[in-house]
Amino acid sequence: MKLRMLLRFALGAAVIAAGFLTAGCGGGAKEQPALHVYTWSDYVKPELVARFESENNCKVVIDTFDSNEAMYAKLKAGATGYDVITPTSYMVSLMRSQDMLQPLDKTMIPSVTHVDADYLAVALDKGMEYSVPYMLTNTGIAYLKSKVDGFEPTWAMFERTDLKGRMVMLNDMRETIGAALKYLGYSLNSTNPEELAAAGAVVKKWKANLAKFENEQYKTGIASGEFLLVHGYSGDILQVQAENADIAFVMPREGGVLSCDDLVIAKSAKEVKLAHAYINFLHDPKVAAENTEFIQYLCPNKDAYPLLSEAIRLNPGIFLAPEIQAKCEVLADLGEKNALYVKIWDEIKAGK
Amino acid sequence: MKRSRFPFIVTGFVLVFFYLPILFLVVDSFNASRFGGAWRGFSFKWYERLFHEPAIWEAAKNTLFIAVVVTFLSLVLGTVSALALHRFAKSRLQRFHYTLIYTPLVVPEILMGISLLMAFVAAGVRLGMATIILAHVTFCVSYVALVVLGRLQDFDFTIIEAARDLGATGWQAARRVLLPMLAPGLAAAGLIAFTLSVDDFVITFFVAGPGSTTLPIRVYSMIKHGATPMINALSTLLLALTFTTVIVSQRLSKSGAMEGGQ
Amino acid sequence: MKRLRKRAQELLLTAPSFVWLSLFFLIPTALVFILAFRPADPFGGIGKGWTTATIKGLADPQYLAIALRTLWVSFLSTGICMLLAVPTGYAVARASERRRNMLLLLVIVPFWTSFLIRVFAWKSILHPEGFMKKGLVLLGLADPSSQLLYNLGAVIMVTVYTFLPFAILPIYAAAEKFDFRLIEAARDLGATSFEAFRKIFLPGIRQGLITAVLVVFIPALGSYIIPDIVGGPGSELLGNKIAQRVFVDRNLPLAGGLSIVLILAVLAPLLAVLALQGKGSRIAPKREETET
Repeated sequence: MKLRMLLRFALGAAVIAAGFLTAGCGGGAKEQPALHVYTWSDYVKPELVARFESENNCKVVIDTFDSNEAMYAKLKAGATGYDVITPTSYMVSLMRSQDMLQPLDKTMIPSVTHVDADYLAVALDKGMEYSVPYMLTNTGIAYLKSKVDGFEPTWAMFERTDLKGRMVMLNDMRETIGAALKYLGYSLNSTNPEELAAAGAVVKKWKANLAKFENEQYKTGIASGEFLLVHGYSGDILQVQAENADIAFVMPREGGVLSCDDLVIAKSAKEVKLAHAYINFLHDPKVAAENTEFIQYLCPNKDAYPLLSEAIRLNPGIFLAPEIQAKCEVLADLGEKNALYVKIWDEIKAGK
Repeated sequence: MKRSRFPFIVTGFVLVFFYLPILFLVVDSFNASRFGGAWRGFSFKWYERLFHEPAIWEAAKNTLFIAVVVTFLSLVLGTVSALALHRFAKSRLQRFHYTLIYTPLVVPEILMGISLLMAFVAAGVRLGMATIILAHVTFCVSYVALVVLGRLQDFDFTIIEAARDLGATGWQAARRVLLPMLAPGLAAAGLIAFTLSVDDFVITFFVAGPGSTTLPIRVYSMIKHGATPMINALSTLLLALTFTTVIVSQRLSKSGAMEGGQ
Repeated sequence: MKRLRKRAQELLLTAPSFVWLSLFFLIPTALVFILAFRPADPFGGIGKGWTTATIKGLADPQYLAIALRTLWVSFLSTGICMLLAVPTGYAVARASERRRNMLLLLVIVPFWTSFLIRVFAWKSILHPEGFMKKGLVLLGLADPSSQLLYNLGAVIMVTVYTFLPFAILPIYAAAEKFDFRLIEAARDLGATSFEAFRKIFLPGIRQGLITAVLVVFIPALGSYIIPDIVGGPGSELLGNKIAQRVFVDRNLPLAGGLSIVLILAVLAPLLAVLALQGKGSRIAPKREETET
């Protein structure tokens, strides 16, 4: 009888729910303080987290977000409860201007003296007042060596009509317009309307050759041969190269975007001491090196560099050649001028 | 009397359509490649890694718990409202009620998520599992109400009155007359509510509290750096579990039915 | 006295969902409406004071193109869903009880796996080097340089895939209580299968059909993840624009404004239909009116 079946199902569901409920309650030990970290997925080696937990007699609860903007929208709308967050630098400036962060107490984080001064020179928060650099990546071009003839390390590769429909660029307004700005020789933080309009025209030209704008799936795409040439992040491409040796990664000679994800402490953070301890822990050179090897991005901790494996130390996509490094810039938040980029991006997206 | 074969052919096609991506999903869980594009050899490593990822199991547990509670609550609320909509269909209150019921379907999830978050923050409600449940029930109620309403079409409430005239209490009449009649509608509506809750990402992202993550949130954030084939493995396990349960219960009910006579 | 009891009954039944939805839906949605009339601040917050600039900004022609494309995609997806869901709902309703439960589960269980992973699976299927493409080329239906992915066709297919179970279930629920002997009777009286189907079956599950259309068409209008993943540069839908406004442009008021457009676009025709049905009309149609 159907009713009986329904009742049985409901009973079973109730039992399962009760089971989970008690399991959940049993798991939470109230004595240990909990540090809440809001970060990208797989962005810290689990063994290191376990080590931190045992050294500090605490629990680390990691929640993840999939984009800076989503995280910001959520926090701006009022969500609290997170202690340490790892936004990208431009987002850090924005959050700082919106009074969402608290200043760092340098006495509690002595290991930040190991942070690479060369990077700090171009960083947005040079004095590390509100943020400590965590992982560095740069945006370049990855391509399949066997399928792309006559590759030149320049952004103009996107003009190649023979690769039409098999290329992607990032679905990121700043990255893609930035690539065009760099190609034209301008700064990628430019707010000059003429420069922006010129860059917009360039991207529209490139768009005709693109399969789509894509932020994450370019990795799968190039690994499977769906795409032949993609605009992507060094750290991601490194992961894919491990599987497909035909993939090469290059920073174009005109320079590009240098991004850094930083460690910050939320203004509403509860566990301030623990948060500082966590940041301090991550910049211990041995920890930083282990983390780098695991994540395959680069932790700008100069005393960790000698501890890295050859594969990373000698990789030109990670440790850039000095003349190209000089042409790279870090993306800054543009505040109200953001609207200028929005307008160009809308036009690019709307045009056929 | 020849019955048309057409509906069954279409059903067959629909099932093939549904399971084609599932086939790919399952096969990819055994693909040694992390990026799921090309086949790089058979491997169990994603299953092994899955068992060493407490974060994913924690999220799965939360997701399941939330879905069960949400299904129950929205079934109750939705059925009651469907009864009102059907029984008193002529009244003005019900017309407004009907609009209220289907409007949540219209609001884009992003805005529903942000506005709920703002409302919770303004009211000083702490984000956590409870807020996720509240949000899910809000959009599931509409689905349940509409499905049960479809079930109630042409249902004549005089049957209930007749039962009561014959001596049944209100509760007995409901249990013996109304509920059995509604049962398939409740089952269908419950399945919809459960599915919606299990898979919701956008709204859940905004109203989840620290430490109360769900599987969709984990999966979305894994796209950037994480190893998504683990989710393929998890999904395959879920499918295997569900189908095994179904087959076992079918076997049990078959032998039970044979003994009890059909 | 009976009238009062009836009224009390009505209020009692209506109250739970009414209160819940008012609290957790009406109020937040009202916030969205209010948002659209406030100025945006460039940092993603909401400025002080009121303005109609945002609403006026909606008159931008780019929105019209996107809105039309969105309507078209949703309309087509809903149509295809209905064509597939009605026969399937019918078949499941007519199946034996054991088979029926099996079929229901078969229909819904794939959708308990992660949505994102399923969409990625579609990307594998429609891959330019994938078997489907190769098969189509072999059959001469596609040429080797064509793309199955990143166009409106892919968006429509995956949208149908995503919403089909939500169309099948309400139709099944309504069809299950339908007295199929009526169809046999009609055929005995000389109607063809199709006529019987059209004139007897469909009206008999009318509310189920309405529900199925509502739960596919409306959410499809706001969807953005599907066009984001399998759509191309030319398949941007209203949902994508709203998402862009919220996340990238940090312009919540404009996102709110676009949503109002969406809401009104859907509500207006529905309200018109309800009004046209006349004053004495019922929401859930009954075949005869009896004094209750």
